Amino acid sequence: MNEPVKSNNIEEVTDLTTRRAFIAAAGAAGIVYTAAVGYPVYRYLASPAEMAASAAAVTEVSLKDAQKIPTGSALMFKFGPSPAMLIHHEDGTWVAFTAVCTHLGCTVQYEPAANRIHCACHGGVYDPNTGANVSGPPPKPLKRFTVLVNAADVKISRA
Amino acid sequence: MNYPFWNIPYLGSSWVIGIIAIFHVMISQFAVGGGFYLLFAERKAMREGRTDWHQQLIKHSKFFLTITGIYGTVSGVGIWFAIGLTHPEATSTLIHNFVFGWAIEWVFFMVELITAAVYYYTWDKIDPKLHLKVGWVYAGASAATLIIINGILTFMLTPGDTWLAVAGTGAEASKFWFAFFNPTYWPSLLLRSAVCISLAGVWALVTSSCIDGDKFPALKSSLVKWSVKWLMAAFVIVPFALIWYLWMVPASQRALLTLGIDTIGAGTFSVVTRIALLIIITSATIVGVAYQLAYKNPIDFNLSTAISILLLALMATAAGEYSREMLRKPYVIGGWMYSNGVRVKYVDAINRNGYLKDSLWVWKDSAGQSSSYSRGEAIFRGECSSCHTLDGYRPIRQLLAGRDRANIASFLKMLHEYKADSPYRRFMPPLSGTAEDVNDLTEYLNYQVNPPATKPQTLAQK
Amino acid sequence: MTQIAAASNSLYKWVDERLGLTEIIAFASHKTVPAHKHSFWYYWGGISLFLFLLQCFTGVLLLVYYRPGIDAYESVRQINFVMHFGWLIRSAHSWSANLFIFAIMVHMFSVFLMKAYRKPREFGWFSGLALLAIATVFGFSGYLLPMDELSYFATKVGLQIPTALPWIGTVIANMLRGGTEVTEFTVERFFALHVVVLPAIFLPLLSFHLWLVQRHGNALPPEEELKPAAERKSIPFFPNFFRKDLGMWLISLNVLALLASVFPWALGKPFDPLAPAPAGIHPEWYFMAPFEMLKVLGNWMPGAAGEIAGLLLFSTGIVLWVLIPFYDTTKENGRRARNAHYFGIAAITLLLITTILGYWTI
Repeated sequence: MNEPVKSNNIEEVTDLTTRRAFIAAAGAAGIVYTAAVGYPVYRYLASPAEMAASAAAVTEVSLKDAQKIPTGSALMFKFGPSPAMLIHHEDGTWVAFTAVCTHLGCTVQYEPAANRIHCACHGGVYDPNTGANVSGPPPKPLKRFTVLVNAADVKISRA
Repeated sequence: MNYPFWNIPYLGSSWVIGIIAIFHVMISQFAVGGGFYLLFAERKAMREGRTDWHQQLIKHSKFFLTITGIYGTVSGVGIWFAIGLTHPEATSTLIHNFVFGWAIEWVFFMVELITAAVYYYTWDKIDPKLHLKVGWVYAGASAATLIIINGILTFMLTPGDTWLAVAGTGAEASKFWFAFFNPTYWPSLLLRSAVCISLAGVWALVTSSCIDGDKFPALKSSLVKWSVKWLMAAFVIVPFALIWYLWMVPASQRALLTLGIDTIGAGTFSVVTRIALLIIITSATIVGVAYQLAYKNPIDFNLSTAISILLLALMATAAGEYSREMLRKPYVIGGWMYSNGVRVKYVDAINRNGYLKDSLWVWKDSAGQSSSYSRGEAIFRGECSSCHTLDGYRPIRQLLAGRDRANIASFLKMLHEYKADSPYRRFMPPLSGTAEDVNDLTEYLNYQVNPPATKPQTLAQK
Repeated sequence: MTQIAAASNSLYKWVDERLGLTEIIAFASHKTVPAHKHSFWYYWGGISLFLFLLQCFTGVLLLVYYRPGIDAYESVRQINFVMHFGWLIRSAHSWSANLFIFAIMVHMFSVFLMKAYRKPREFGWFSGLALLAIATVFGFSGYLLPMDELSYFATKVGLQIPTALPWIGTVIANMLRGGTEVTEFTVERFFALHVVVLPAIFLPLLSFHLWLVQRHGNALPPEEELKPAAERKSIPFFPNFFRKDLGMWLISLNVLALLASVFPWALGKPFDPLAPAPAGIHPEWYFMAPFEMLKVLGNWMPGAAGEIAGLLLFSTGIVLWVLIPFYDTTKENGRRARNAHYFGIAAITLLLITTILGYWTI
């Protein structure tokens, strides 16, 4: 190659800047990779701690005027981060459960006509009095809360 | 409404569009970026008097002409066939709105095809400066095709409020420019331009990897290094353009990013988010691999490595197109038409009058009577099969497995009611139709999910 | 800038004086790897190694929450649905296991067809085959651990096969099962096998294999051997080949990320020993060929005769495959070299056809 010396120099200079740009890009790529692997692994290992934290965060919920809901109906509310339901049965008894299906975590529904708690995602059925998993895919019963009915509100707390 | 949707078992008709379109995008984006690559490479070779580059560029432009002129063109026409068959309603809306835009695109497309051929066949036959001008015409025309089709593609995701206000009045075309320069037009154009430039570099690596490094070390190392630089565009621009793009998408659509319901439990990003992250990771891999294997070591750079980089790039492109389609759910044209072809404002009328009111496509027995099962089948083809198949992609039999008739009915009722808090609302259209329609569909689906021992009478006659 | 450079220089010197890094780098850059048009196949050993490392990494993470025994399914369900990103880690483990076996197979067939088993690399061939055998046992034992419906029935069917052996068959099967049926005892011993016994055998064997590779270097395919030494090309192992290896690892990681996150590994229903086997039950793809051969032979020869014939055919094939270095010994590419080549092609064809047939007739 009989190129002029000058153009060679320019080539070297651009080479150097390109190399710097590449090293910066490689650094950024490294960060992307570390984050992509590190974040899931961290969250995975931290799961029990996070669960404990969120479980400890809420121990009692007070629902204003919830004592007024008619018999044979249910009230959905949030207990901490997750949905829950308060049921006023026909016989006047009160009961509260988490409303998260133990199968894949869909929100369940109280169906008074059929006297059951039903999960529309995969058809799981629970007993509305005890929370026991009666049929369908759910592996475990719904968790039950302690209910205290007052004159002005209903207090729900962890059993 | 009520076209006999083109029924493709297992794959689903939407994947027919998907496969053709993804294939087409991989090539057409090369056609746009590759034009500029040839242009700049030729200019550089001319200015620096590199005859070896000149010879190599002739080979590369032959490869370019073959790939884009044959596979790109044929697959582009293939998209027209496929969308007309699988999604006549949406195609009709697009044509009514953009017939003028498409006409312009076809003009540029013809110019592109002709100049590509002229460019290749006039190497060394006409004045080099004139040849370069042909290159400019090609690059300009191919960029124009992207500029136009980008308006139509982004329109489908975000038609914009101005257009939606006149939609269905017959005056849609009066808001042509609003529909064209819709909210996601610019970020999408930037995103696609960056990808085009990078794909040009990737394909150029494929041809330059075939140069014999022992015989032409200077040519190979200079061309490989120069081509690798083209890859940087995507790496630098794509993450930012992607964020801008997602920012312009309506919040209801953005919600799909954090949704986990169609997948599984904890710590789950939705498919769209996972794919978006994968695109960023894949760009990182491409740059890392290209730097280590091509830039640092151009003489040893061989075809198998070049193909690996190409496959990674195509994988990222395909994933991007897939997630763009997913992001549009539950619409095919945002806010105006659901992905099963039902216009949002017709839902009430269908709920009153029935989905099959004007349908000619219901199986009838010899007495001219349709059964609940056959009406259900027609409804399934019309309302479900643009996304679901019985056994293949998003298989209905598997998704409804374990449900009895009452259970299927209650599920369909939920889709029909389409309450504001329904989790399915975010990615599925409502089930439009009367109570009888819902019952007919239940009949059909129950037959598919829980097949009875004996076939019903009407079915046997069919 | 200069201060940082000086500091890193003196740090390097400190480590170098104690560990001899310069010697290692000098040694590694002195080593060369042949470069020719079949070089691509040299990367598959490295890819297998990388996937094995990923197996260890994700495996240890799963070990954190997995509980063998009666609780096995529940603990996997917890990993999948309760622990953040547990689905991703389990999915990465399952996918990389499959890719791992696939990469070893590609490596093995390329070694076979490039005739890299010839003198002095016979032990590399034997140890490599042993590693593949252990990897499939890893796969078989790992498949049961979630104790869902599919894995339960696949294991049940798989453990039926040894019972066809006369006299000792039932004893072997019962020993593996920990009883006459697949139960929580089976999971417990498979777990011990999967995380303790197999790694304890695998790791030393792997070290031996890698030591042999370093000792003898990469083999040249026959057509390169024929060329005069001056025409052969090679590149330094460090940094050139090493860099390419790393590039391939990065690509493998990327492919794995794609598969694991877009196609998460499913978890079926919990197993129920009284339920009928679900339709279309079939083994993992790497067992599909022997499974299909047994099925086909079983159709020809009903009863135990079919199974015994199948086992015989298969063991004969494997023995011949293992012993190939003693048959095809010389660098002169004569009749024996051609026969070995045809044998390899026939084996690959047979495996491909039976695997495809297996999936076709599920």
